[in-house]
Amino acid sequence: MSDPVTIIMIEDDEGHARLIERNIRRSGVNNEIIPFTNGTEAVNYLFGKDGSAVERKGQPLLILLDLNLPDMTGIDILKRVKENKHLKSTPVVVLTTTDDSQEIKRCYELGCNVYITKPVNYESFANAIRQLGLFFSVIQVPPASV
Amino acid sequence: MTPVSRRRSTLQILLLSAGFFVLVAISVASVLLVNKAREDNALVVHTVEVESQVASLLVDIRRAESATRAYLLTSAPQYLSEYQSAAAGLPAALGHLQMMTVDNPTQVANAAKLKAAVEQRLAEFVLSIERAKNNDTVTSIDILRKGNSTDALEAIARIGRDMRAEEDRLLALRTATADRTQVLASSVTIAGSCMVLALAAVSLVLLRQSSRARDEAEARLRDSNVNLETIVDERTADLREANEEIQRFTYIVSHDLRSPLVNIMGFTSELEELRGDIFKRIATLNRSASLAPAMPQDATDVAEPELEGSDKQLSDDFTESLGFIKSSIAKMDRLISAILNLTREGRREFKPERIDLRELIDGIVETVAHQAVEANATIEVGALPNIVSDRLALEQIFSNLIDNALKYLKDGVPGEIAIEGRTKLGFAIFEVTDNGRGIDPKDHQRIFDLFRRAGTQDKPGQGIGLAHVRALVRRLGGTMSVASELHNGSTFTITLPIKWSGKNLGKNRDKAS
Repeated sequence: MSDPVTIIMIEDDEGHARLIERNIRRSGVNNEIIPFTNGTEAVNYLFGKDGSAVERKGQPLLILLDLNLPDMTGIDILKRVKENKHLKSTPVVVLTTTDDSQEIKRCYELGCNVYITKPVNYESFANAIRQLGLFFSVIQVPPASV
Repeated sequence: MTPVSRRRSTLQILLLSAGFFVLVAISVASVLLVNKAREDNALVVHTVEVESQVASLLVDIRRAESATRAYLLTSAPQYLSEYQSAAAGLPAALGHLQMMTVDNPTQVANAAKLKAAVEQRLAEFVLSIERAKNNDTVTSIDILRKGNSTDALEAIARIGRDMRAEEDRLLALRTATADRTQVLASSVTIAGSCMVLALAAVSLVLLRQSSRARDEAEARLRDSNVNLETIVDERTADLREANEEIQRFTYIVSHDLRSPLVNIMGFTSELEELRGDIFKRIATLNRSASLAPAMPQDATDVAEPELEGSDKQLSDDFTESLGFIKSSIAKMDRLISAILNLTREGRREFKPERIDLRELIDGIVETVAHQAVEANATIEVGALPNIVSDRLALEQIFSNLIDNALKYLKDGVPGEIAIEGRTKLGFAIFEVTDNGRGIDPKDHQRIFDLFRRAGTQDKPGQGIGLAHVRALVRRLGGTMSVASELHNGSTFTITLPIKWSGKNLGKNRDKAS
């Protein structure tokens, strides 16, 4: 529990990524955020070259996952993460534009920890992200720099 | 019926009647010919009889003659009596012969001549016998020797020969006729039988042809039925696919439209915050330039600094622009959400189940009770038939209609809303009636279109409710219509099948976004 949590943000829309990052920062979370704009790169990073994710073993991570990616669906990534023995305890926050109850249900069934709909109403969106920031601060060790 | 088969059946009827006609003709001809043959035979027999009559007559004359001669020679009374018996039968036999030959003029003449000859001969006999009785036998013998008597005798013989010859001729003629008649009768029978057989054969061939044609037609019908079903299945599958394609397309489009909208909204809000910061900065700068430079920096954080003149105008314009942007975004978001919801509804599987309509409507009325009280309206629920349908869809249909009725009441008039139902020919008909503001007939179609509304726009709404309701009713295999006039209330009529089987359901739809 000594390492600070690294936030893996898998979000193809740069605007969304920027908004999410800003709001996370505003809520006082200063953890490192590694952004990915497509699924393949994110999967390569998470699971390594051999796909076993042995490189990520024991690393404190948090995954922000958009379901609509250009090259694959976020559901696939979620499934792989939750099936991998090294990554399955990593919290996954699903961020998506739809509030389709079927989709939400499926994500929870696959083991996602939080499901956040990106509302167009900016205030609620910012709120949700900030709540997420609080959520991070609960699970993280306070960074030494602050 | 095709022309070919019609022609065939006409031909068949013709054949049958021809066969019948031939049979009748053969029967008639046979009867006629048999009669003719009988007549011919009778004539033949008659001729033979005449011949034998002539023969027996000649024999009797011979007998009379020989008896006369014997009497002349012996004068024995037994010969006299024999003569008498032979002579006595002669006139009768002659009369008989005359009667029998009355049909033939030649024979009549012959018979007359014969009669004359016979009478002459009889007279001669009588004379001879008289002479014999008076013992004048010598004269008689003389007469005999003179041969006077031979004239009559010869005449008799000649005439008898003539008559026999005539009868022989007739016999040959009549026998030939009878033979011809018989041959004719048998040939008519044979020909007729052959014709009947030929007709039967032809009709048999026709029958086989028509039965083959029928079999072929049946096979073709079966094939085309199978084909038709296949075509219908294919078309249905195509339609379903197209429908699903549209649903997917709509879903994806609205989904993807939302992503940039999140950005627009997000960064607009960012701009708003920036605006605050910028104008705060401007105000501070202005103040520090004009008034007291000693003013503490942190004072700006507490209160919004006052802007003046053109700066204030700038700030207001900024705010107004941002406001329009934000309200437009909000509206666009609502529209996209509405489309998303509609497509989601379209993707939902309907489950037919038995529904107690009364219970369902009462539930809806309960949930809107508060609104009804606020709108000063009463909701009356009449008799409702129970149907088999999708519960959620029915709830949405009726709650939308009741919501609308409550929403568009006339100001100042207590609302009266009635929900009634009845059944007709396997369909349940529901009517939701209100005494509200009504709908102009020219808008009756428009209100069912997506995002379209009618009348005074004083109530919030996106113009989705009725479009949604109609889509649901259609998916449930029903129809809906409206009857309304401006200011005179509206009646929405929904016709739904009593037993909906879920037939027009799509196949399993994919749930991925």
